[in-house]
Amino acid sequence: MQDFIKEFSESSITALRNVSAQEIEKAFHILQATYERGGRIYVFGNGGSLALATHFVADLNKTVFSYHLEKHHKRFQAIRLPSTESELTAWANDIGYDMVFAGPLQNYLEDKDVIIAISSSGNSPNVIKALEIAKARHVPIIGMSGFDGGKLNELSDAKILVPTPKGEYEVVEGVHAIILHMIVKYFKNAFNYMVEIGKIE
Amino acid sequence: MIIARAPLRISFVGGGTDLADFYTKNPGKVLSAAINKYVYVTVARTPFKQISVRYSIGEIVKHPSELKNDRVREALLDANITEGIEISTFSHLPGQTGLGSSSAFSVALVKALTALAGNHASAEVCAEGACWLEIERVGDPIGKQDQYASAFGGMNVFEFQSDHSVRIEPVHLDFKRRLDFENHLLLFFTGVTRKASSVLTEQRKNISDSAHFDTLKAMADSVDPFKQVLMEGNFKKAGELLHEGWQRKRTLASGVSNPSLDALYKTALGEGAWGGKVLGAGGGGCLLFVAPPERHERINHSLRVTATKHALHDASVIPFSFVHSGVELVVNTKE
Repeated sequence: MQDFIKEFSESSITALRNVSAQEIEKAFHILQATYERGGRIYVFGNGGSLALATHFVADLNKTVFSYHLEKHHKRFQAIRLPSTESELTAWANDIGYDMVFAGPLQNYLEDKDVIIAISSSGNSPNVIKALEIAKARHVPIIGMSGFDGGKLNELSDAKILVPTPKGEYEVVEGVHAIILHMIVKYFKNAFNYMVEIGKIE
Repeated sequence: MIIARAPLRISFVGGGTDLADFYTKNPGKVLSAAINKYVYVTVARTPFKQISVRYSIGEIVKHPSELKNDRVREALLDANITEGIEISTFSHLPGQTGLGSSSAFSVALVKALTALAGNHASAEVCAEGACWLEIERVGDPIGKQDQYASAFGGMNVFEFQSDHSVRIEPVHLDFKRRLDFENHLLLFFTGVTRKASSVLTEQRKNISDSAHFDTLKAMADSVDPFKQVLMEGNFKKAGELLHEGWQRKRTLASGVSNPSLDALYKTALGEGAWGGKVLGAGGGGCLLFVAPPERHERINHSLRVTATKHALHDASVIPFSFVHSGVELVVNTKE
């Protein structure tokens, strides 16, 4: 049993090491720019990735500012898509599953916004459909993918690819969670520091 | 109606090497950063024949060729818009302060007019469009760094190649370095505005002179060491490098500095600033200093005293932050 535990841990660590630090840096940059211009952050994915999106949205909107919550009047505006189950089922049932992200995104998206798409294969049709809308509006895309990155990695501006053999969902989703928390920690420290040195009063 | 905005910029090192007379012979290189002061451009189609352009003055004309505003005139003629348009601009700071506002205006104008035609202009298209508008169409003797800095936003190293292409390398400082650096910088507006082209015309003529050429080469070469000390968080050294750059820049043309600028510069260094420079082409505008944050109040006070002595009554410190976004559309509606 210990062999399995070691092996899984090793593949997770290796996968994390193989993520491009430069691309994560780009994601920080894009998110900082979005914050400054008051844009919104739309996060989505299927299954476990949707759960990650939900978790991350809460962290971005609240946890990131938790050291001095009352001082940060201007905060991230992160929204998980779709934001209600009713929209999810309405789009899926009435139009088709490939529209569950693209449909709601069309209602909201503006030029100053940003997309964070999470898909281990990078090829989920409903994710790609939403990216087409983002591309048409020239909105930056932070793509969190796994395996060989798929189409998502190709279309992204910040290409956060967790490179693994095909089908390693557990490793990819685990590393995605780590990177999302890395982003949360970075901005949590940054916003805390802004208050500490008097940039935000 | 369309509203586009483009940020102003602070140029740290390498200014002047973005002039074609230089970079066609030796690669030019600058390091600059966009700040949270913007030029806004509003554009709307109207059902009337006339063309209305509002900036520091208002112009109403029958044909764009009659416009005094050379950038708007050339942009409209190029886009073949000959009637029914209203263009106005708003800016956080006055023009001619050395913060690249005239190029920020052109960048925002290109963005807005492209959007008006229903198209998207990338940062690169806006930068090149603004360069073309200002340098080729209007014929200003200016370089290309301001257009790029404003269009792309953030902190970047721009390399100007002999084939006129521009290589862009973002400088990703982490939040601590960025905020600490900001806190060490002091931006001081002298209250004097000047037209960059008057200084740059002389500077451009001097490029053929070999001593001037070598000076510019040294300025381009100082970009990498400056970037290095920023990444290390060695702001004292950054200040010293700015000081060296300023000493070089003063020699490029007679109008770059003047007695008031020299007096202000000396005042800040006397109060503990590690170094600084005059922003933009020189001759007026803004001074930038790198100094320990605890010295800022003292420096600010003494600068004001010196400014008053030189009858610079509009002089003041300008608080700012770096920004990561470049040119963008703020409003884009059909109505």
